[in-house]
Amino acid sequence: MTVPRRTNRKKIKDKDFELIRAINSGQFDRFPELVKRYEQKLYNFSFRMCRDAADAEDSVQETFLNVFKYLKDFRYETKFKNWLYRVAASTCIKKRRKSKFAPERELSLDEFIPQDKAEVPDHVPEWALMPLDKLLNDELLDKLNEAIFTLPEKYRLVIVLRDIEGFSTTETAQILNLSDANVKVRLHRARLFLRDKLKGYFENE
Amino acid sequence: MNKDEHDHKHCLGLFEKLSEYLDNELDEVTCQEIENHIKECVPCFVCLQTLKRTVDLCKQAGNRTVPKDFSKKLREVIQNLPKSPPAG
Repeated sequence: MTVPRRTNRKKIKDKDFELIRAINSGQFDRFPELVKRYEQKLYNFSFRMCRDAADAEDSVQETFLNVFKYLKDFRYETKFKNWLYRVAASTCIKKRRKSKFAPERELSLDEFIPQDKAEVPDHVPEWALMPLDKLLNDELLDKLNEAIFTLPEKYRLVIVLRDIEGFSTTETAQILNLSDANVKVRLHRARLFLRDKLKGYFENE
Repeated sequence: MNKDEHDHKHCLGLFEKLSEYLDNELDEVTCQEIENHIKECVPCFVCLQTLKRTVDLCKQAGNRTVPKDFSKKLREVIQNLPKSPPAG
């Protein structure tokens, strides 16, 4: 008696698979649909990673050209979007420029722990209490985006994928080729870094 | 616990896990430990609230619209691609 082979691989549901299969079966004229679907998202991701409009445009174009070239190798074992961001992240990393605003450095937990007793908070500040829609305005979002730009790249990549693009820890780990634990450590430090920048902004307002 | 007592090792141990707590990635025992702790520890409660608000704000960070000229150029590049990807 033969026992059917069991596979542990979960079947992935993905709204993009139908389009990818069509392109891979020879309908190359449908490639622009893929561009339309992801152009806006990739532009924002690339802009946050490159911090420069011209570099972001180059990265998006290069990402789509790489996707066109390698799409036939896509194995449907992950969501297409995750594979796409892996291509995009690696394109942006190759494009990186040294920046005095976001020098590559390790963020240590110690730098986010109050060293002086006077700095230990004794109440929740208003900016963390008021309704989000009352707090949000263009100036604050500009400050937040500026603060994101100043994060060292390896932390910026993680927080952009997790908190802005909405990928899970495991998806982010797969996109960046890191362990889940590493993603969690980087994310926590990136959030603490941004929290301190926001705190500074609200205290000096 | 007031701010003069806030140098406890326990606080530092939980401080490392606050993002995982916000993301529901901790086991039940550790979650309970954090919840019990922040009921009594004002500095840790403040830290958690400000961190949570930071995450909420990141989710609203907004989008830049793709410049029209670039979008047009990108479409032209795509239209001019060969009818099949290069063999590789």
